[in-house]
Amino acid sequence: MKRLLGVALGILTAIGGFLDIGDLVTNAVVGSRFGLSLAWVVAVGVVGICVFASMSGRVAAVSGRATFEIIRERLGPRAAAANLGASFLINLLTLTAEVGGIALALQLASSVEPRLWIPVAAFAVWLVIWRVRFKIMENVTGLLGLCLIAFAVAVFLLGPDWSELAAQVMGQGLPEESTTVYWYYAIALFGAAMTPYEVFFFSSGAVEEGWTVKDLSQSRINVLVGFPLGGLLSVAIAACAAIVLLPQAIQVETLSQVVLPVAIGGGKLLLAFVIVGIVAATFGAALETALSSGYTIAQFFGWSWGKFRKPRAAARFHLTMIICLVVAVGVLMTGVDPVLVTEYSVVFSAVALPLTYLPILIVANDPQYMGEHVNSRVMNAVGSLYLGIILIAALAAIPLMVITGAGA
Amino acid sequence: MNALEPDEPAAGKVLDARLHLLDRQVLDPDDVPVATLADLDLEVAEDGTVTIGAMLFGGVFLARLAGGRPPRSLMHKVPWRDVVEVDQTIHLSVGADGLDATWVERWVRDHVIGRIPGAGHAPE
Repeated sequence: MKRLLGVALGILTAIGGFLDIGDLVTNAVVGSRFGLSLAWVVAVGVVGICVFASMSGRVAAVSGRATFEIIRERLGPRAAAANLGASFLINLLTLTAEVGGIALALQLASSVEPRLWIPVAAFAVWLVIWRVRFKIMENVTGLLGLCLIAFAVAVFLLGPDWSELAAQVMGQGLPEESTTVYWYYAIALFGAAMTPYEVFFFSSGAVEEGWTVKDLSQSRINVLVGFPLGGLLSVAIAACAAIVLLPQAIQVETLSQVVLPVAIGGGKLLLAFVIVGIVAATFGAALETALSSGYTIAQFFGWSWGKFRKPRAAARFHLTMIICLVVAVGVLMTGVDPVLVTEYSVVFSAVALPLTYLPILIVANDPQYMGEHVNSRVMNAVGSLYLGIILIAALAAIPLMVITGAGA
Repeated sequence: MNALEPDEPAAGKVLDARLHLLDRQVLDPDDVPVATLADLDLEVAEDGTVTIGAMLFGGVFLARLAGGRPPRSLMHKVPWRDVVEVDQTIHLSVGADGLDATWVERWVRDHVIGRIPGAGHAPE
């Protein structure tokens, strides 16, 4: 019974923890412009994150080594330093977007200007990192994030024409958009689903929680059930936008437009739920990205790291996270629009994906690390296929951004 | 030309310095991370045998990013005799706190992080 509860808790946490500000904004933007015609990208992205998250979790559980230690060891200091530079900057951009997202969500709830919420949100993130145990942190934000199910509820309450939605999935009955813009948003959506920090966080989290080979089946269930259900919520966000915003040609530029369909479909009560969900999801992702910034730097240099240690015993790790949060607050206080930061962060995430995923695939095949737990042939085939997709997306991202004027 | 004969298999554990030693995580006896191994100091005896004299730490990031090597005087040395075991990591017999290679960690701990309330307790 206790074991069953553990499995359920893990799955629910994975669902709630799957979505972040990148998924929220990108799915709503895509839904309002392309309907459900890009839903297939979410499916492709979810399978990819399942494959690589479970692979990095397995490597961490078997070898006790987290992803960036492996990147440093396999790529050598020079290539790994370039990788660290890119991953760290994109992670910082994502952290900035998430802290901004918390502030925007709190603004929806309180009508207090986001710039007043930004320092409060960042301080709260730091306080949780400083004082709250890893497991509790993950479970609380994950479970509260489940409130985002309100998006799925809203789809039904809005009473859409289901055959029209189905036609959109097949790419029919949509306003004309150019092919390059379509593919630009396809890559943005892919980057939002597969953000690199999720792998840094997942593998380091496995070390934090002291996973061993025994925990592998549990973690595999969490990922394989939780992430696809999280992906369904992503599609529900796009569907909400496709039902309400697309017919009126409203383009999503603010968080209030993201939640507008929920308010129309389910009224104030459902809106309250969705705001709680957004605060939890962005807060959880802010924690994950802040920790990831500490994890990547500390693992590259071989510093002492981890929330399981007292902060005194991982001083540089904690200092790195404090500096990153201060920088994020500094950037947001200039008045830059967090939604815009988010839109750029997901595209740059797509650019950085191969840097993260190639070393994991290599080490997951190394018997000296993995013993009998090396990748199976099926896993390698799927992993290699995805590496190809990731590479194409990464190479195409910047040219498409230039050609389309960032999807204008 | 004759093909090169493969080397005689050596007794014991064979370590490839590049693959198994460089850039590996180094841990102290309590499994506290010390640093990542940056370079090795090799010693050549009179009979030509090469042995590892010491491990070198630090200074790598900026130097390697620019394509060079950090000057040896800026790196911290730990003698190879302090190594007890090599597996996925390199295990030392000496504590991290006593090593020069971790002075920045101690400085940050004593002057910054240690001064914030709650730094001495693990998160609950």
